[in-house]
Amino acid sequence: MTSTLPVAAPAGPTRSSGAGGHRPFGKSFIARVRPWMLLTPALAVLAVLLLWPLVQVALFSAQDYGLPEIVSGEANWIGLANFAEIFTSEQLWAVVLPNTVVFAVLAVGCTVVFGTAVAVLLASLGRFWRTVVSSAIMAAWAMPAVTGTYVWVWIFDADRGVFNHVLQGLGLQDAPVNWFTDRWSFYAIVLLNVVHHGFPFVAVTVLAGLLGVPKELLEAAEIDGAGPWRRFFAVIVPQLRQIFAVVIILSTIWDFKVFAQIYLMPGGAGSNREVLNLGVWSYTESFGQNRYGFGAAIAVLLTVLLLVITVMYVRTILKEEEL
Amino acid sequence: MSVTTTAAPAPAVERPAPARRRGTRRQSPAVRAGKAVAVVALLIFTLFPVYWMLVSAFDAKAGLGTTFVPASPTLEHFRFVLSDGGFGVFLRNSLLVALATVLVSSLLALLASVAVARFRFRGRAQVLMLVLMVQMVPLEALVIPLFVQVRDLQLLGTLTGLVVVYVALALPFGIWMLRGFVAAVPVELEEAAYLDGATWWRMFRSILFPLVAPGLVATSIFSFITAWNEFVFAMTLLGGETQNYTVAIGLRSFFGQHSNDWGAIMAASTIITLPVMIFFILVQRRLASGLTAGAVKG
Repeated sequence: MTSTLPVAAPAGPTRSSGAGGHRPFGKSFIARVRPWMLLTPALAVLAVLLLWPLVQVALFSAQDYGLPEIVSGEANWIGLANFAEIFTSEQLWAVVLPNTVVFAVLAVGCTVVFGTAVAVLLASLGRFWRTVVSSAIMAAWAMPAVTGTYVWVWIFDADRGVFNHVLQGLGLQDAPVNWFTDRWSFYAIVLLNVVHHGFPFVAVTVLAGLLGVPKELLEAAEIDGAGPWRRFFAVIVPQLRQIFAVVIILSTIWDFKVFAQIYLMPGGAGSNREVLNLGVWSYTESFGQNRYGFGAAIAVLLTVLLLVITVMYVRTILKEEEL
Repeated sequence: MSVTTTAAPAPAVERPAPARRRGTRRQSPAVRAGKAVAVVALLIFTLFPVYWMLVSAFDAKAGLGTTFVPASPTLEHFRFVLSDGGFGVFLRNSLLVALATVLVSSLLALLASVAVARFRFRGRAQVLMLVLMVQMVPLEALVIPLFVQVRDLQLLGTLTGLVVVYVALALPFGIWMLRGFVAAVPVELEEAAYLDGATWWRMFRSILFPLVAPGLVATSIFSFITAWNEFVFAMTLLGGETQNYTVAIGLRSFFGQHSNDWGAIMAASTIITLPVMIFFILVQRRLASGLTAGAVKG
């Protein structure tokens, strides 16, 4: 690349240091404000469309904000009444919080364990089969959440779904079962959907890490008499600590925010109160019941939960790299 | 980390279980068979939904039999979806929205990523932190205030309103990803350009931009997929404006009150999914590394 540039031109060296902006001294005014000129459009968009709405949702959460307030734009403060209602409601403690937190824990656990197992399998395959399996994994990853969810709904459909057909064909059940009415089977399908969509990221990322583990370490451990399990947990896992931290935290953030995968299932859009999670509850209260203030309060709760996890994530990243 | 190897060979030689050995040495038939079973099971699990979607889309009797191949192959579902189903309009809407999102967000992300990757200035770390943090905000928290904002701008039910929101959603990841590509361009190239008397802008156009172009393509594809797949905002902001529906919510029109036209739904899903899959395979490596950029060093 460099050879294509004629380097002989005798331009002033002072100029290059000024315009390049890598040196702390001798910057012209233009060079000093240039980064901010470049950043301004992006920061303006983020401020108006992401940061200000976050402030607004917090403001809404302290109001009884319904259709009249949306139309008039007037505030209607009620203090912390929305939060009081949330924290005293049976719905939160019995249904919504377990559906959100227990589901996220299970989904993250399954995704990370399964994804890691797939990564180990991939690492032990030859080039041809590794390419075949990775491509299949990419297909699972690329499936949009919306169409993916519809396909799972179709597979488990009560009347004509292939799952019921097969079970009946094997004589395991006499009549078709509606898997979407029961809370547990509903979330089992969501779990299948989320793990199917989420494990490829874990597998691909962990595989990249696995291939980076020095072969000498593994050979030395094997010579020392360490079996495959021992080698995995005593040599590989400590080497990939950072990767596992990132993968677990990102998965946690994604699985707390699951929305379309629940909303698009039969009964998931609010008609079955047993299967609500924080995100869907907030949405149905806002746009279904026109209780935007109450919905905003639920959204604030979800955001705070995610913020705590995010701070952990950022810390993990900062530890590794000087930004 | 230092592993002593001096005393080791003895137990390794005594160990009478060659089947346990992995890696470069030959594997026992049992291990190979186990692996083959694992690979087949994994392939079935990963591909079955895609396969079933295709089978149902091409089968005139979708769901009436228990066969795992199309009982009576047909293109009828696709014809219905694209003509009577009005999916052509949804496709056009989605394309317009996604392309506009790609153009605007890539431009903004490129400028911002040059700033954070190439300049050292006060507040830089804070800007990066902000970019990282806003990616984690749940859409459910944004949808209420943005619904009110878009309503105040009188853009409810329009594609413009959607583009505005999608640009904001695609921007943080775009900046984060492009930052790596910009940083990878050697500073020496820039300095050589300055020595030649180039202005900063000239250097940007002739040196930096062409070298960052591959990263720009990857980022654009990611923005495209974001806009193409998005569901919550499309549903909320478009409301009843059926003629402006994007593909993600257009699918719902095939759900009936009592019975669903699954053949049509799966045909439409196929049309939505295929472009995403093709794009995905094109950028797979960069996507994986982009998601963990900074945290994982290769």
